[in-house]
Amino acid sequence: MMLRILSSEFLKIRKKLIWLLVAAGPIGVVALQAVNYGVRYDYLVAGKETAKLWSGLIGNVSMLALPALMVGLALVASMTAGIEHQMNAWKLTLALPVRKRQVFAGKFLLTALLLLISCTLLVPLTVALGLALGFDGPIPYGDLLTNAYYPYLAAMPFIALQAWLSVTMANQTLPLTIGIVGMIVSMFAGGRFPDWVPYKWPQLVNASHEPLYSVTAGVALGLVVFVAGMAEFVRKDVK
Amino acid sequence: MMRMFRSEWMKIRRSVVWLLVAVSPLIAALFGLFAAKKGGDFPWLEALSLMSVLHAMLFLPLLTGVYAAMICRYEHTGGGWKAMLAMPVSRTQVYVVKFVIVMLMLAATQLLLLIVLLLVGFARGFSDPIPWRELASSFLGGWIACLPLAALQLFVSVAFQSFAAPLAVNVVLTLPNMLVVNSAKVGPYYPWAQPMLAMIPRDHYGFGAFNLPLETLFGVVLGSFCVFFVAGWAYFARKAV
Repeated sequence: MMLRILSSEFLKIRKKLIWLLVAAGPIGVVALQAVNYGVRYDYLVAGKETAKLWSGLIGNVSMLALPALMVGLALVASMTAGIEHQMNAWKLTLALPVRKRQVFAGKFLLTALLLLISCTLLVPLTVALGLALGFDGPIPYGDLLTNAYYPYLAAMPFIALQAWLSVTMANQTLPLTIGIVGMIVSMFAGGRFPDWVPYKWPQLVNASHEPLYSVTAGVALGLVVFVAGMAEFVRKDVK
Repeated sequence: MMRMFRSEWMKIRRSVVWLLVAVSPLIAALFGLFAAKKGGDFPWLEALSLMSVLHAMLFLPLLTGVYAAMICRYEHTGGGWKAMLAMPVSRTQVYVVKFVIVMLMLAATQLLLLIVLLLVGFARGFSDPIPWRELASSFLGGWIACLPLAALQLFVSVAFQSFAAPLAVNVVLTLPNMLVVNSAKVGPYYPWAQPMLAMIPRDHYGFGAFNLPLETLFGVVLGSFCVFFVAGWAYFARKAV
């Protein structure tokens, strides 16, 4: 059942601007770093060892990818929910023989999958940029993958929150503003907030230097927020 | 024209807009209260740069987009454009009024931030006289630097029905700010970086593109403003609603 709902969700966003955004996020991040490396090649590249070059590149890419992910998840969530809001189609969607719970889960999964695609795209794009800049030696695939997927998993509470807010509020101003504020808070959360603040998790920094703690906490809280949102949506009257 | 302003006012009077106007100044206030140093030679200007970094680099450009998308929302939902243009008003008037409203909301944001800055200053007991000239040029400059962004965002907001699409455009163009402001070559010519370049006090924190004379910045601002505004206006005048 879930699969069929998901496939109908994908059908709804066929040939929509959403796909452009999903691709533009990672491409924009890597392109900006390409410009950055192009302009400051001497400073960033010349005379450094290969391992340092790759880790530097990965660090630079994720520095930009984090805010892009944090605000991108708000935009994607708003766009996926916006389809029903714009056409006033919640009634129609929910009149189908599906459970409200499943519709909500479908929206959340769609948002999460689209963002997963974005994060996945970061890997080949970063590799391509590294190779284009002439980095030789072994490509650190492990680091690349952790830097693409750990922040994504740690940002799960925000994906769930934005999916919930966007679905439940017809006016998208508030969800999007919350998303933008969230992005800005998370950018400056690094050294300033204690470890329990979720906005810090996507940066994967914590007192015990174990990124997996942030990831675990993110997935766990994400699940909680998702269930809370689902409970609210099931009780909600749609207009 | 006055009547059109009044009708726009009625649409936004009791909406979440006012919450949005307060968001950035409130966050800046937290920053100022917890991080501003009391010592230092120029407490006011240091507090200003501290509080306006976030505001000018990200909030101001992003909020411009939110405001523009927001004032087009009522027209996009439920065929409001048709209803509005069926009135005895010209499209140019409609477009100009919408644009002025966006700029007024930005002015309210700037004003609120200024008030917050003064409050923070008094709360922390800055003993120096308030540098009105620098503050005025910073806040007014930041506001003027938003002109091109507001013009472009209004264009995109009128064009796209979805609320998030114009914001996506906005975010894609604003995020590069994080890199661009450090570059002396690109910074002065990148419209989205202008609010930050115009707002940060230039004498004490000059690096990257911050050293550029105001004339260059405002040449870029006014130039890109004309391009974006004329493009948006021409599009709206021909748009089938």
